[in-house]
Amino acid sequence: MQMFPKQEVVAMLLAGGQGSRLGVLTKKLAKPAVPFGGKYRIIDFPLSNCVNSGIEAVGILTQYQPLILNEYIGNGQPWDLDGMHSGVNCLSPYQAIQGADWYSGTANAIFQNINYIERYDPDYVVILSGDHIYKMDYNKMLEYHKEKNAACTIAVIDVPMEEASRFGILNTYEDGEIYEFDEKPEHPKSTNASMGIYIFSWKELRKYLTEDDALENSSHDFGKDVLPAMLNAGERMFAYPFEGYWKDVGTIDSLWEANMDLLDPNVTLDLKNIYSRNPMMPPHYVSPDANIQNSLVADGCNVEGDLEFSILFSGVTVGKGATVNSSIIMPGAVIEEGAVVKFAIVAENTVIKKGARVGQKPEEVDDRDNWGIAVIGENTVIPENAFVKAKEMIDSEVAASEK
Amino acid sequence: MRSNDVLGFIFAGTLDDKIPELAASRTTASVPIGGKYRLIDFVLSNMSNSGINNVGIVAKSNFLSLTDHVGSGSAYDLSKRRSNLTLLTPYDGKPFSNYVETIYNMHGYIEHCREEYILLSPGNVVTNFDYNALFDYHSKSDADITLIYKKGVVPAGYDRPVTLDVADDGKVTQVFVKPDVPDEVVNHFYGSVLLKKSLLMEEIRKALSLNELDIKKILQQAVGKYKVCAFENKGYTGIISSINSYFDFNMDLMKREVRDELFNPKRPIYTKVRDDAPSRYGLESRVKNSIIAQGCVIDGEVENCVISKGVYVGKGAKLSNCIVMQDTKIGKETNLNYVIIDKDVTIKDGRSLMGFGSYPIYIAKKSEV
Repeated sequence: MQMFPKQEVVAMLLAGGQGSRLGVLTKKLAKPAVPFGGKYRIIDFPLSNCVNSGIEAVGILTQYQPLILNEYIGNGQPWDLDGMHSGVNCLSPYQAIQGADWYSGTANAIFQNINYIERYDPDYVVILSGDHIYKMDYNKMLEYHKEKNAACTIAVIDVPMEEASRFGILNTYEDGEIYEFDEKPEHPKSTNASMGIYIFSWKELRKYLTEDDALENSSHDFGKDVLPAMLNAGERMFAYPFEGYWKDVGTIDSLWEANMDLLDPNVTLDLKNIYSRNPMMPPHYVSPDANIQNSLVADGCNVEGDLEFSILFSGVTVGKGATVNSSIIMPGAVIEEGAVVKFAIVAENTVIKKGARVGQKPEEVDDRDNWGIAVIGENTVIPENAFVKAKEMIDSEVAASEK
Repeated sequence: MRSNDVLGFIFAGTLDDKIPELAASRTTASVPIGGKYRLIDFVLSNMSNSGINNVGIVAKSNFLSLTDHVGSGSAYDLSKRRSNLTLLTPYDGKPFSNYVETIYNMHGYIEHCREEYILLSPGNVVTNFDYNALFDYHSKSDADITLIYKKGVVPAGYDRPVTLDVADDGKVTQVFVKPDVPDEVVNHFYGSVLLKKSLLMEEIRKALSLNELDIKKILQQAVGKYKVCAFENKGYTGIISSINSYFDFNMDLMKREVRDELFNPKRPIYTKVRDDAPSRYGLESRVKNSIIAQGCVIDGEVENCVISKGVYVGKGAKLSNCIVMQDTKIGKETNLNYVIIDKDVTIKDGRSLMGFGSYPIYIAKKSEV
């Protein structure tokens, strides 16, 4: 039998959710694999955080549309997670003698992989989710966890009071000990929003996971079941205050905003030490006709049109006279001559034909409350001179039927 | 013959005396080019894409940047159970004085490799070439030796270029070693040749025993003895043999047809990966007709330039016709025209530098201007 050297910390990254609020963007890929920031995928952020925090064993729990994610993670080499005795593993639901189960909840996903965790004989387990953009040193949080002699530590971020009711709020005593969970409270008592990052002492977590699994009416979810059970049992649970950039990118609007934040010099998020797979493409070319203002451009692009407040992923073409404004254009997409794309997300390998118009500025819409980012799914063709309104979501089948 | 039966053999120092500035701290093969590449990336990628599994690189000196760049060869898919990249450096006090002795000194490596054929290549040529076409040609024409040539005017920098007379059937009838660089269209043999390893080593041993150290002369004599054929490289080819040809090649990248051919997605050019973020254009940036790699921050004006990874161009800076290598910082309100700026240079705010198209200025690595 292979012996694995002990790891003090094992990270488990929950990447199985569908991310249905991202619509056509997650039709064929799991949310953590959604492209972000010109060359990354969302999962690069928690993975890079792990490596930069010295965590060498990472399990990624996959379930929904795992192909692209599995392929992207591969052997983990871009993140230095290809060690001889540790590294990254994609853990999908599996069959066993007792039967086969999908992961029925976040806690169940970890429960089904207890054997993976125990190979490393860890003292602590970090639970992460694959839909947040942030840079964090988990070591500091672990130090805090040890200092407080906690069974569970939950990272929290200070949110504005008026937004607090959108989050899971943790109410704590002065020393940071949690006495109450308040899920999306109507009248929040504090502004400590949970970031979905947990550190558990493994012995305790193992006990509560096993107990939770035996409960028939449990939904096997951390937030709904396991954490309240621990609190009720009087375990020491602490909130760890995090300062810095953090954004949940689970919706079209927040995904777009987080991308745009990269263009804002006042935002503290930088991309240093975020690792990713790098497509083999030459540097990008900017033609004599092009005009680029306040944008991010990746390798392999060919820019002949106007670009403002936008993000181009690798291998994107922007034709002559085309305009791209406040938009995110994912790898391999083509914006043909004279096309206009504003306030939009265009997914991979999609073609916006000549003269087509995608998206609208907020001030161009009569009903401002119904304004939103236009989204075109992957491998879609928007025909010549077609018009896609603000907030519309188009995938390849819809585009084909409208032709 | 199959491509996995060919050993790739690259001379990293080709013509390094002709680009003394660029090669001051590195080999010709590791000269940065095209914004994110080193010269050797092209030949290594071509070999790897053509199915060659085993490549040796001869480096005579200054090879730290080369070893750092090619590493284990994994970036080129040349670091697997059955594929290898080997750096061949001087040892036992045997310096690399000429091709004949150099090849002989490496006979242990060459003969140990399991491949039957060897493909010798220079380190100063930028092209996207499918060697399989060469291998097919070599087998079909039943040649002993096949030389790759480029039709055109020999680029400046070659003291005594080798040119070929080629018959209609592809047979080389004569090999010239001209005293002057001819200003006419010729068949220029730039140093890429395919033959059996056994034939190469036999000829090298024979030459050494006769104290014949001129490889060009050995080649001339081979024409009478063996079937020597020629294969034309009809694709775009940048041959770096002077600071001017280095400059011109970089500027050629502004042409779409050159980029499309060199960076054919079916035969990608690989290079050592660096985790640079996408390049960021500021609110007052103005960029025209330029190649920009990742990791840059551009706040100034850039026209007809190649800007490598991690370069910073400050506000109000005006750059035209420049080649800027990685991680260089160009200060605010600077004015640069026809300047080649090496790695890690700092150009302080407000400085002005002017070269000419025929004479670009060169700023050495890590300088502060």
